[in-house]
Amino acid sequence: MEAPDEQLMLAYRDGDTAAFDTLYTRHRARLYRFVLRSVKSRAVGEELFQEIWIRVIEARARYAPQARFTTWLYTIAHNHLVDHWRKRGLTLVSLEDDDTPGSSPDPADHAQARESLARFAAALAALPPLQREAFLLHEEGGLTVAEIAAATKTNEEAAKSRLRYAMAKLKAAIDDG
Amino acid sequence: MADERDPKLSQHYRELEPMEPPSALDQTILAAARRAADKPRAPLVAPAGRHRWYYGLAAAAVLVFAVALTLHIERERPDPEGNVASTAPAPQLRLERELRGVIKRAPEPESQPAAKPEAFAPEPQPQAQEAKKPSEAPAAPPPAPRRAAADEVRARQDAALERAKVEAERARMQLERRTSNPDANSIQQRAAPAAAPTGGLAIAGAPENPERWLERIAELRSRGKHAEADKALAEFRRAYPDYRLSEVMRERVEGK
Repeated sequence: MEAPDEQLMLAYRDGDTAAFDTLYTRHRARLYRFVLRSVKSRAVGEELFQEIWIRVIEARARYAPQARFTTWLYTIAHNHLVDHWRKRGLTLVSLEDDDTPGSSPDPADHAQARESLARFAAALAALPPLQREAFLLHEEGGLTVAEIAAATKTNEEAAKSRLRYAMAKLKAAIDDG
Repeated sequence: MADERDPKLSQHYRELEPMEPPSALDQTILAAARRAADKPRAPLVAPAGRHRWYYGLAAAAVLVFAVALTLHIERERPDPEGNVASTAPAPQLRLERELRGVIKRAPEPESQPAAKPEAFAPEPQPQAQEAKKPSEAPAAPPPAPRRAAADEVRARQDAALERAKVEAERARMQLERRTSNPDANSIQQRAAPAAAPTGGLAIAGAPENPERWLERIAELRSRGKHAEADKALAEFRRAYPDYRLSEVMRERVEGK
């Protein structure tokens, strides 16, 4: 039986580096995809990905398993993404509107999006950041609505609304084909 | 939220380009994690700026304290080989001087004989007598081997301690007698108004020694104050039940 994430993090906090190796191996790919699909730029995404893990390492002494490790990890990721967006002059408030589209997909992508997968990818990229984040947290992190609300520091209703909007748009993109 | 999950959406999502972090990135992060775990107590951000000097000052203070403590312990530790004369450990010599000072602090009047343990202890302890000898030895350290010198110092200390004990015991007995019999106390005070507190340890209000007391009784007797003399003699016998009177003194104090 595999050790739970929380136990591994506590072991790492107490100096067990092998525990961190296991933890990292377990979450690296999902977190990587979450970050890269949030910022779209691979270089920026990789930089953010590394910084998020460094924050995890630095915060190990304060770690207390009050919630799932995944929730804690994606909370750190969310906070770091918010910092990143703020530095770039972007605010999440203006993007809170559920009807505001995110960055428009490349027209070339639309042209090539003849298959549903391509349409799905394009629709995901076109989602408003908060809706996309809610969807990615749900799909990659496996977070529940309550956990998404906790990680993104919002209430459950808002988190649920974002997730539903995101799923509806993605479904529509698939069905369009 | 299981009801929110759409299997078709999830499937599409899983079919997207599988992205994984490059191994170089993995190695960088894992190395950082190991470095951090190697120094769990150290701050990740090194002290900088005006706080940097705190660490040097703290280290210097700890070092000075450790050296001082070590030297102190080294000086206080008794010499296991008894190298008293050569190394002359300060605490031992100080103790010896203090003990001598206790004895000399209240010197006996010249008219009185020196404190005689046998006067109130008919069977003197050989230890006390033996111990007396070294105390009368010259103070100058003999050019004997180190061990002999150490033994001598030890003997002196024992003798001084013994004398101090004797004096303290005498003072205690007399104090007890005074507190338990205030009448006798007043008699003594009347009988010996000039009795200065010249006891061995110079305790305030310490009574006169037996010989002087007897002299006073004899004087009362010679002046014809027989009642007072009898009273004082009875008091004396209560105080010194084991005191052996010489024939001459007996005649003088008893008036027979």
